[in-house]
Amino acid sequence: MWGTVTAKLRSWEFILLVLVVVVLLVAAASVPGFTRPFSISTGLATFAPAALMALPLALLVIVRDIDISVASIAGLSSVAAGLAIEAGQSVPVVVVAALVTGLLCGAVNGFFVAVLGLPALLVTLGTLALFRGLCYVLLGGTPISPLPEFFTVLGNDNIPGFVIPWAIVPFLVLAVVFGIVLHRSTVGRRIYAIGGNPETARYSGIRVARIRFVLFVISGVVSGLAGMIYMGITSQVAPDGAQGLELDVITVVFLAGVSVLGGKGRITGVVLASILILALRKSLQLMNVSGYTQGIAVGGVLIASLLVTNLSQRVIGSVRERRRPASQLGADTT
Amino acid sequence: MNRSALTLAVGATAVLTFALTSCASDGGGSGDGSANSASGKCVEGPIKIGLIPKLGTDPYMVTVQKAVEAAAAKDGSTVIYTSPSDATGAAQIPFVNQLISQGVDVIAISGSDLNSASAALAKAKQAGIKVISWDSDVAPDSRAFFLNQADTGKIGDQMLASLSDMIGGEGEFAILSSTQTAVNQNAWIASIKDKLANDAKYSKMKLVTVAYGEEKADVNAQKAKELVQAYPNLKGIIVPAGIGLPAAAEALSQSGDLGRVKISGLGPVTLVKQYIDTGNVQDVWWNVQNLGTLTFATAEQYAQCKIEPKEGTSYEVDGLGKFTVGENGTVLLGEPTIVTPANVKDFPF
Repeated sequence: MWGTVTAKLRSWEFILLVLVVVVLLVAAASVPGFTRPFSISTGLATFAPAALMALPLALLVIVRDIDISVASIAGLSSVAAGLAIEAGQSVPVVVVAALVTGLLCGAVNGFFVAVLGLPALLVTLGTLALFRGLCYVLLGGTPISPLPEFFTVLGNDNIPGFVIPWAIVPFLVLAVVFGIVLHRSTVGRRIYAIGGNPETARYSGIRVARIRFVLFVISGVVSGLAGMIYMGITSQVAPDGAQGLELDVITVVFLAGVSVLGGKGRITGVVLASILILALRKSLQLMNVSGYTQGIAVGGVLIASLLVTNLSQRVIGSVRERRRPASQLGADTT
Repeated sequence: MNRSALTLAVGATAVLTFALTSCASDGGGSGDGSANSASGKCVEGPIKIGLIPKLGTDPYMVTVQKAVEAAAAKDGSTVIYTSPSDATGAAQIPFVNQLISQGVDVIAISGSDLNSASAALAKAKQAGIKVISWDSDVAPDSRAFFLNQADTGKIGDQMLASLSDMIGGEGEFAILSSTQTAVNQNAWIASIKDKLANDAKYSKMKLVTVAYGEEKADVNAQKAKELVQAYPNLKGIIVPAGIGLPAAAEALSQSGDLGRVKISGLGPVTLVKQYIDTGNVQDVWWNVQNLGTLTFATAEQYAQCKIEPKEGTSYEVDGLGKFTVGENGTVLLGEPTIVTPANVKDFPF
């Protein structure tokens, strides 16, 4: 019993949970307007695209990959949706156009990384520029608007009678789905196995390349979904849609405790980290802090979370190492 | 497995409780979008105004900010100046939401694009907040007034009038524009050519060539020197671009041609103030401070229900005189002014 409690206290998710509760309480008490339903619902809606894209990215980082092109995929998907709208297509066709575009973008990333074995960071840095460039080439400088009501409601309205905006619903649903897949299914165990040691995973019969490819494709499709929410929020399709969101997405993933070295991280952490970044941004916003300083804060959190998660793992690791051969060394500080 | 489920459950409960209690405690808050009617309220006395620029650090925007703050200080009104770090409409959305949460009376926005903030601005309207735009418009149904700094159609005419004044209404002159495809510049050049052909006042002035400085200081400097060499009788150059104007003035000042050749153009006054003082350069510009004064006065009178954005409505602004609302709620700050040594001190930007 005592063992499970101390294990829980040591887990990064638990520390995050404490942080979330503290930050929310402090913000509620000291930031005027923070607890207003309007602040909560607009905060959730504005943050929804970034939080959504963090879910598949967490899985990619767990298998030692990364996708920094997510915001460009979201942008290109919304451009595809915009062109479909301009061509007079119905809402279902527009949605499919966006999702298929996301899927194809993800497949391009997956092909170069998982099939050809090129480094994920460099491939997706390339496609970050490539997909964004396509946005401008396909759309030109003039944004498309107005959009069908479906999208503006998705981006801006609350579920009738609740403080919860429609925009956050896909995240809530997918967080549960991703959580179940990662923590309860065979695929989830294989994902951790690849991250832990790709060679061992391959020798034990896991189709490493296929799983990595599929994860890139999923990242693409979810980014396409995020792109549609984003265009709803902005009431238009613009070539610079979702630009710059990768900072928040990547920060959420690493703050969540997903290890750069792979094999570690939980969806619970992603949810908690999302709440934390959201509360941070909203508090700074309500304190009338400039966009520049918000950038400094989020960038600082990213570095700090890398520092803390890596150091704490190293410390915990060394404590365990020492304890195994000689417990009389007095390392029993818990 | 159980550990994560437990953490998740506790986390979800915490957030849910938080959301629910906040609903209960703040149901009737003044900034609550759903609690107010769409008609808006009339403020008596000082107002609370939220100012959203395109970019928080842009000197042009900061000049407007200072003027708004100075006007607001006179009756104890509050100004919240926000600072987006990207010049995109999307980056302005969180700032609109912020001002709604803070329950301002008026949001005055310089739109980075027409539509991005429109859903957020509609929520502001719903919450009883009045919305006006300045400097750069947003979609007309998102705002009431648009405070337009200068009638762009008049800029070309004013530059020609200014040069004509300096060279005594006769002689050869050239235009040093930005790029061949620049929309504004080409419109101004067209109107200059039109004036030359049809207005007797300019019958003795001759446009010899149009050169392009490509929006680069060094190219502009080089082209200005070439123009003086190529046309020995050249009396003046019109430089309708903010980068080219100071570059051309400096180049001709160095080569010693400035004085024999006069320069007129368009750009922030601070960049060419030293040359204006010599009397050899004039600048067509508008008083950016006055835009701030007009913005605050319009916001205050609108919030106090003294004016409505109807065509033909007119109102007084302290120190600036009378303004009349034009088509679509647009209020024009005035004609662009010719800046000379006599009035250069009135232009802090």
